Amino acid sequence: MNAQRPSLALVIGSGSVKCAAALGVWKVLQNENIKLDMVVGCSGGSLYAAAIALGYDISTSETMTLSFWTGDLMAGYASNLRAAMSGEMEFTERSGLVDDAPLMKALHQAFGERRFDQTLIPLHLVATDFRSGEKVVLSQGKLVDAIRASVAIPIVWSPWEIDGRLLTDGAAADPLPVDVAIKEGAYIILSLGFDLPHRARLRSFNAVQTHLNSIYINNLLRATYAFYNLAHHAEIIPLWPNFDRNVSTFDTQQFPYIIEQGQRAAEEQLPYLRRLLETAEV
Amino acid sequence: MTDDPNQNPKRVALVIGSGSVKCAAAIGLQNVLHREGIALDLVVGCSGGSLYAACMALGYDAPTIADMTRRLWTREITRRRSYSAWLRILLPGVFGFDETFGLLDDRLVMERLRAAFGETTFAQAKTPLYVAATDFMTGDQVVLSRGRLVDALRASIAMPYIFKPQRVNGQLLVDGYLSDPLPVGIAIKEGANVIVAMGFESPYQSRITSLPRFSFQISSIMTNNLFKANFAFHTLAHHSEVIPVVPEFHERIRLFDTDKIPYIIEEGERAMEAQLPYLHRLLEATTAR
Repeated sequence: MNAQRPSLALVIGSGSVKCAAALGVWKVLQNENIKLDMVVGCSGGSLYAAAIALGYDISTSETMTLSFWTGDLMAGYASNLRAAMSGEMEFTERSGLVDDAPLMKALHQAFGERRFDQTLIPLHLVATDFRSGEKVVLSQGKLVDAIRASVAIPIVWSPWEIDGRLLTDGAAADPLPVDVAIKEGAYIILSLGFDLPHRARLRSFNAVQTHLNSIYINNLLRATYAFYNLAHHAEIIPLWPNFDRNVSTFDTQQFPYIIEQGQRAAEEQLPYLRRLLETAEV
Repeated sequence: MTDDPNQNPKRVALVIGSGSVKCAAAIGLQNVLHREGIALDLVVGCSGGSLYAACMALGYDAPTIADMTRRLWTREITRRRSYSAWLRILLPGVFGFDETFGLLDDRLVMERLRAAFGETTFAQAKTPLYVAATDFMTGDQVVLSRGRLVDALRASIAMPYIFKPQRVNGQLLVDGYLSDPLPVGIAIKEGANVIVAMGFESPYQSRITSLPRFSFQISSIMTNNLFKANFAFHTLAHHSEVIPVVPEFHERIRLFDTDKIPYIIEEGERAMEAQLPYLHRLLEATTAR
């Protein structure tokens, strides 16, 4: 797509609502007329990776965000947790505590029947094989299926089957899968990552569960990211938006703030990105 | 183990990763090193591995360590459930749920750790010992190298949900595997040049029939991925040698399968023997220099 310069990838990591910061990054790239050669998404980042790859404009993507994170997305969690712990509710490898109907509805609304081969920019989404724990890269088929698999937060939403493989949240394998961009031949890689928040107080089983997941995912993020930086022979540009406010999941009023922080993070790295793109030009 | 560390110009470390009862494979590894007259300059342990790291650092012999293993991991430990913990999950408002939560009554484990290590402190170890745990509030790795061994070991094996976190020096600590299941980085920081790293993959559930089993599956997935990522990084970043010793178990070994200890030790021996020529070559190349 850009024969004149080395290929540029955007990787959007796991971070639930904070992933909306990707829209801020995208705004900056559009303003500067910098074209992406591929987009990679993991977990919550998959939503935005798909929107960017399809060429949705910012306001469409913002609307998608607002209709996605609604209160009924997590309905039934607490009562089903009690039922599952006491044994009243059967829990298998295909179970989740939350009914995925609202999630599927939101995904269908945003992406309909669109497929990977209809994107304007090559797109790769990351999930985890529930049985083997391995990272799975999804690059074909229906977008809704791939995103559903990539965002399947364990215990909350049931794993999702694609081609006979049972898949769960990509964050369990690699929260910021920079290696997918490396393998696909990207030279400059914009990596948008998020530290998950640690809770100060743990007053429920759910809080402990969430907290332990954050510990794992943050440590996994650090370990994989350190490795990619060491292993990749070219440039990985870190975009770590700085959230100086507490961002809670269903507070839709925070979205402008989240997007702004993404924009700020991208602007800070812009001179460096420009220099890389220019110096590497043929 | 009592050799003067200055004898060898290279510092040799043994790192034993998390792996519950499978960590007994370290006994097999110890047999091989002992037979070959290879002394260790430091020992690092994480989670179940910290128990063996401690025994080796104290200079216990193989039969003593095997005996400790049998006495420590018995079915009784899993049978002593903390009923209040279940009530706290079901009715957090009534019974007060907080971060000191654990499903099993840990008094028995503490008793057995005391029986094995008494009041021994790190300072009494013949070989310098480092035990890895995880700060429960921040998720950061915490390296313990002073104070009473039982406290450090209890913290390092504090599997989330199963055992309560352990407070050490004001920090609430949980199992070391949450930050790094095979903490080679500690040996690197302590100046080791040759690092024998014994690690274990977490087993996956064959059938998931309950929420706790589902949680264990997810935890195994993340632990294994963390293990691979950290190990890949340390191997690439370290300027000297990391020798992986990963025993292969063809029999299924569950958390408290102590009757399989002889088999586990054998596989540990086998895994170490497979890497022995490489280890010898490294040590010889060093002395010649």
